Amino acid sequence: MSAVKKPSIVFAGLLFLDVASLTAAEDRKERVLNDRKEVEASGNWIYNDLSKGLAEAARTGKPLLVVIRCIP
Amino acid sequence: MDKFVCVRLVQANALDLALFQFDYDLTFAVFFLNADKTIYGRFGSRSDRKEAAKDISMEGFRKALTAALDLHKHYPANKASLAGKQPRSTRFKTPEDFPSLAGKYKPTLDYEGKVVQSCLHCHQVRDAERRCFRDDQKPIPDAVLYPYPMPNVAGLSLDRKEKAKVTGVAAGSPAEKAGVKVGDQILSLEGQPLLSIADVQWVLHNAGEPATLNAQILRKRRRIKLALDLASDWRRQSDIAWRTTTWDLRRMVAGGMVLQDSTAGERRAARLPENTLALRVNHLGEYGDHAVAKRAGFKKDDILVSVDGQNSRLAESELFRYLLQRKMPGEKIPVTVLRNGERMNLELLMQ
Repeated sequence: MSAVKKPSIVFAGLLFLDVASLTAAEDRKERVLNDRKEVEASGNWIYNDLSKGLAEAARTGKPLLVVIRCIP
Repeated sequence: MDKFVCVRLVQANALDLALFQFDYDLTFAVFFLNADKTIYGRFGSRSDRKEAAKDISMEGFRKALTAALDLHKHYPANKASLAGKQPRSTRFKTPEDFPSLAGKYKPTLDYEGKVVQSCLHCHQVRDAERRCFRDDQKPIPDAVLYPYPMPNVAGLSLDRKEKAKVTGVAAGSPAEKAGVKVGDQILSLEGQPLLSIADVQWVLHNAGEPATLNAQILRKRRRIKLALDLASDWRRQSDIAWRTTTWDLRRMVAGGMVLQDSTAGERRAARLPENTLALRVNHLGEYGDHAVAKRAGFKKDDILVSVDGQNSRLAESELFRYLLQRKMPGEKIPVTVLRNGERMNLELLMQ
């Protein structure tokens, strides 16, 4: 289970980050731009680049977790 | 999470439809896969327009992650059991290959310009698929009208905090007839190991009409095999009203109207029996092709009591299926509405 000890944080972030953002006066464009900025800053995610993810999975032997998330 | 390579995709632009086949009405969908693109499973389910997280949970996500790692650990020895989980052949390799989307989007988002407008949304894939049938003057089949059915179409309620654990079995349903019990854990369906409710939906989505689904169940430490028999019209139990893609169906056959089956109280007030058609206009589109009904004279709160001669009680989804499978674009159908106690005859253009 140690391998998946932090899914709740990631899941909450992925699913609910945008909802939290909605409470601010951001428009849709800001949400899209902020999403990229915040997710890339987390350092744990490859953003919008499946090929890079596949190559990294092949190199490391890890499975891929691909999240398809509509932002605006 | 450090056991995975994590990728976040926020656009359907140039999405590989030969790999990523899922419920395109979702705004949050997860794939677990190998670097060779073999899919271990899916996560992400939805059955409500407002409550996006009604059918998913962090606990369920955690269990799906763990199960995916277990499949990865035993891969490729388990490859045969994953065969059913792999994508089906597809006519269009990317969303932009659909005729109605061709030339409208670039492969990447325009982060320096109009980023929102440059985004091709997942639901547009399903819209485009249905539009192909309409443009070809062909009926939209059940499998396209009712994508990724929830397990309740087979009479199953599943725990959103588990992979596929039964919390309810509907009386008289295929699940009850098969012998499924509350508390059962469905380990596999059609030989496919299940990581989530989404994996059950995947099996249902690709099932025939009719179909027999073989299930392996864990019940009180015993593994048993059951078979669920689905009738030829089993998909029609699905409620598609919540779906974003139903908006375009409203354009096609309702001229932009949102219809709601009248309540018992509304029926009494309108002196309409319980078994007759009584679809109230909840919303009327204002612009373009969604304003066809408005331009034809329909008004909010009209009650549709006859459509193309049909006057038996139907839900909005059921009426849409009737029209989408029998009436083609360009046809005009007679509609009788009840407005302020008076019956009026109107015509509705199919699109």
